[in-house]
Amino acid sequence: MSDSVIIARHLSKIVTSSEAELTILDNVSLSIERGSSVAILGASGSGKSTLLSLLAGLDLPSSGEVELAGKALNQLDEDQRAALRGEHVGFVFQSFQLLDSLTALENVMLPLELAGRRDARKRATELLERVGLAARTSHYPQQLSGGEQQRVAIARAFASEPAILFADEPTGNLDAATGERITDLLFELNHQQQTTLVLVTHDARLAERCSNTLQMQAGKLLEPGA
Amino acid sequence: MSSFSTPTLALRLLGREWRSGELRVLVLALLIAVTISTAISFFTNRIERSMTSRAAEFLGADMVISSRSPLPELYASEAAQQGLQTSAQLGFSSVMATDAQMQLSSVKAVADGYPQRGELRIADQPFGEERNTQSIPAPGEVWIEPRLLNQLELQVGDTLDVGYASLRIGALVTHEPDRAGDFYSLSPSVLMNLSDLPATRIVQPGSRVTYKLLISGSEQALSAYRNWLEPELDVNQKLTTVADDNRQIGNALSRANQFLGLSSIAAVVLAGVAVALSAGRFAVRHFDASALLRCMGLSRRQVLNLFLCQLLLLGALATLAGLLLGWLVQWGLIVLLSDLLPPDLPAPGLKPLWIGAATGFTALIGFALPPLLRLGRVAPLRVLRRDLAPMPSSSWFIYGLALLALCLLMWQFTGDLKLTLSMVFGGAAAAVVMGLLAWQLLRAFAGPLGRAGLAWRLGSGELLKQPSAAATQILAFGLIFMSMLVVIILRTELLSTWQDQLPPDSPNHFALNILPDEAEAFTTQLNSIGAVSAPLYPVTPGRLVSINEIPVREQVTKESQGERAINRDLSLTWSADLAADNHLREGQWWATETTDNPQVSIESELADSLGIKLNDQLGFVIAGQTLEARVSSIREVEWDNFTPNFYMVFSPGSLDGMPATLLTSFYLPTSERDALRQLSRAFPAMTLLEVEPILEQIRSILAQVTLAVEYVLIFVLLAGLTVLFAALQSTLDQRLYQGALLRTLGAQKSLLRRANRLEFSLLGALAGLMAVVASELATWALYRFALDLPWQPHLIYWLLTPLTAALLIGVAGAWGTRAVVNQSPMRLINRSH
Repeated sequence: MSDSVIIARHLSKIVTSSEAELTILDNVSLSIERGSSVAILGASGSGKSTLLSLLAGLDLPSSGEVELAGKALNQLDEDQRAALRGEHVGFVFQSFQLLDSLTALENVMLPLELAGRRDARKRATELLERVGLAARTSHYPQQLSGGEQQRVAIARAFASEPAILFADEPTGNLDAATGERITDLLFELNHQQQTTLVLVTHDARLAERCSNTLQMQAGKLLEPGA
Repeated sequence: MSSFSTPTLALRLLGREWRSGELRVLVLALLIAVTISTAISFFTNRIERSMTSRAAEFLGADMVISSRSPLPELYASEAAQQGLQTSAQLGFSSVMATDAQMQLSSVKAVADGYPQRGELRIADQPFGEERNTQSIPAPGEVWIEPRLLNQLELQVGDTLDVGYASLRIGALVTHEPDRAGDFYSLSPSVLMNLSDLPATRIVQPGSRVTYKLLISGSEQALSAYRNWLEPELDVNQKLTTVADDNRQIGNALSRANQFLGLSSIAAVVLAGVAVALSAGRFAVRHFDASALLRCMGLSRRQVLNLFLCQLLLLGALATLAGLLLGWLVQWGLIVLLSDLLPPDLPAPGLKPLWIGAATGFTALIGFALPPLLRLGRVAPLRVLRRDLAPMPSSSWFIYGLALLALCLLMWQFTGDLKLTLSMVFGGAAAAVVMGLLAWQLLRAFAGPLGRAGLAWRLGSGELLKQPSAAATQILAFGLIFMSMLVVIILRTELLSTWQDQLPPDSPNHFALNILPDEAEAFTTQLNSIGAVSAPLYPVTPGRLVSINEIPVREQVTKESQGERAINRDLSLTWSADLAADNHLREGQWWATETTDNPQVSIESELADSLGIKLNDQLGFVIAGQTLEARVSSIREVEWDNFTPNFYMVFSPGSLDGMPATLLTSFYLPTSERDALRQLSRAFPAMTLLEVEPILEQIRSILAQVTLAVEYVLIFVLLAGLTVLFAALQSTLDQRLYQGALLRTLGAQKSLLRRANRLEFSLLGALAGLMAVVASELATWALYRFALDLPWQPHLIYWLLTPLTAALLIGVAGAWGTRAVVNQSPMRLINRSH
């Protein structure tokens, strides 16, 4: 297991509302190897997004532990987890999460600037060219179509050359044809950069393109991962 | 992940945000805050300087040091070194005698440079043409008051003996600026050159002489000099400045300053509300960015620093621009009002710039920081779950700090701690009351509105859905209206107080030394020339020597204002009735004549400064005789209405047998100079003092203050309206989305329009109601604790304010949300995601 970049052991997430306790995630264990691509497949409410948030260190489990890039997340505080994300993790979201007040180019530049890279503009321009948006660099998100926005988000995710990329329903807000093209782009860049890809989706066709698939149902993992 | 430079990145992000138009509302709010407070500060600073310099004319200088013994040379040399203008002066009383007559006069020996402020006017003959002069009597010459000429039966050109010196009467003094303020002094004045003083041999060790040093110059130099001087002054030396000198001007000035200060506070509060609202909006719109930055590896502190750095940069830029704009606004105003303002308006000091900048940063830190702190607490998980918003700031420390900063800023504006505290606590209490009231009202409305028509339900639904959020909005709008309302109420009150103070027929002449057997003839002649006269009061000069048999000198400290009253003769009078404008504070007015048991009624301020209580036994020396009288009442006196007033009023009969003359004041138009001359000729022993110049001066000062007050009011109203729009802007996002949604569902434009109008009108009416309740509370606190004015409810505003507010917010809100009605709903929905 030495080459596992993500390890989860007995993860549970329980939320307490005024009426009752709700178990969103129930005793999930898995391990993901470096360079692999894993799809977490499940219906709405199956707990797959919660699993992703725990694996990425965006939230902490009620019990169990996660090891990300060799670090045990529950031993890190919020800021240390943030630093770990900055170093190793990239994200692609269903709702794109582009900053409205920044142009496409500036959105892609942001993680590079945060990393203090002097070639931020050059590299961001290259990435936008690679995702086919060379002509739209100075456009604001509102001036771009959904597919274009997601391409900007993908360019941004790969900009800092993360070891692990989490994608949450990356094609969820797109039509089938656009979704297809975005998926191609995602896998192409993933292949080029040897990134570990963790993809959450309810789309079985998208899941098929991954090397492994994990099936979630009612907070449980149906098939243990490889 | 800390390899980026926060300031550089902050600047870059700020530039990008600026281009995208995201920052406009916040910048606008800050700009208003700084511009308004800078403009008000500049404007009032200049008007105040102009008023102060006019008031300085009553003193003949900006400040005067006086003492019974010679003043150290160091005082003058230090003043000269600090670039101040100095002029020595010496005053004493001396009997002027000719072979036939003698008259006690007050002599003033002056040096070049007198007077430093105001005008000296002289004439060559009694009732001859007056002219301004820049010079003083030449050595060997005296200038005297015309009535002394009468009393001593002399002509201009004759010689007058002052002590051992024989001096030629060179001219008649018709107006001495520093004399005007003291029309209770009885003896005619004589002006001579200081260089003739040794020849008079009057100044000997032990002689009663007042040494004065007149000092004038720039404000900074004066204040530096004052700081140097005050520790140096010994017990017998006294510093008088414009502010302490003249009651009439002093009151008007201090009230005006309080008002202007309060208006500035109102402007700051307005701007603060705008900044808070727009910063709140800024924060909410940046939750996503904050969550994203956390995903990209930034720590809480880094995210917070990044936004704070942006905030500071923004503050610095907006402040700079605001300072410049503020200066331009006051400059434009001064140009616009050049006909009404004195031509030699002094240049403004630097203080307004400081105040403007302090306002910007206080508003920013106090009002923008709390909402922005939420940005540091956004959970990174928000990138997956949009509903995760950080808790609102509950940091009492930050709010406490903001309140403290606001207090300091207000204090800086008003220079009055009491006023500031009553404003802050009144305001805080008002805000709490307003907030609770709004919340309760909303809850009360929920039932009936839930059964109303669709437009009503849609309109009110926004407000009722989240009562606490709506209460916050109502509170914000209420604060805006309250600030404006308080300023309007105070302005009305202030102007009417001033108008009452100096009606057009205020007495403009004082007649002193009317002999008792001439009283009837004098009254008849006064009536025949159509003068409006106050009653005749008997006056006996006398000195207060003891309080409860302890010599008064042993009881009175240097700081006490009472010193002025014990170092000279007071004008004592008696009266059966209490003067109409006097009010008893303690004790009772006498019912019958009490010759055997003399009683005295004392003026309240003097009583306080001398520590005199009811039933104390006061000892007087009057014309060489001693008299004991019991304090049977303490009176409050309106000093600023130009009718004769007295520190001491005795019960009738108490002063029987003492020498007395009569005194009165009357109004006669200045055009009636002939009548005045006839009066003077008919009663040669009488002293006629014209106070018209003082009245004119006070009126012109009041006119300036009024002008300042009016324009400051306009500033505040403009600021209020701008803030109103900014505040509305900050509430629009949610409404736009809601509106778009409704249109998608098939709602007619007219329905949306009606719902919007209803919602905003309701919001406005509630805010107006809050505002009027809070204003009443705030003005009550202000009147009671700071301004010393009687308070009455302002009923008309109870009707007007909610109506006006409903109309204003209704129209502005409908205008602001017209996009909801006019834009494509699809586009709005896209934008909101």
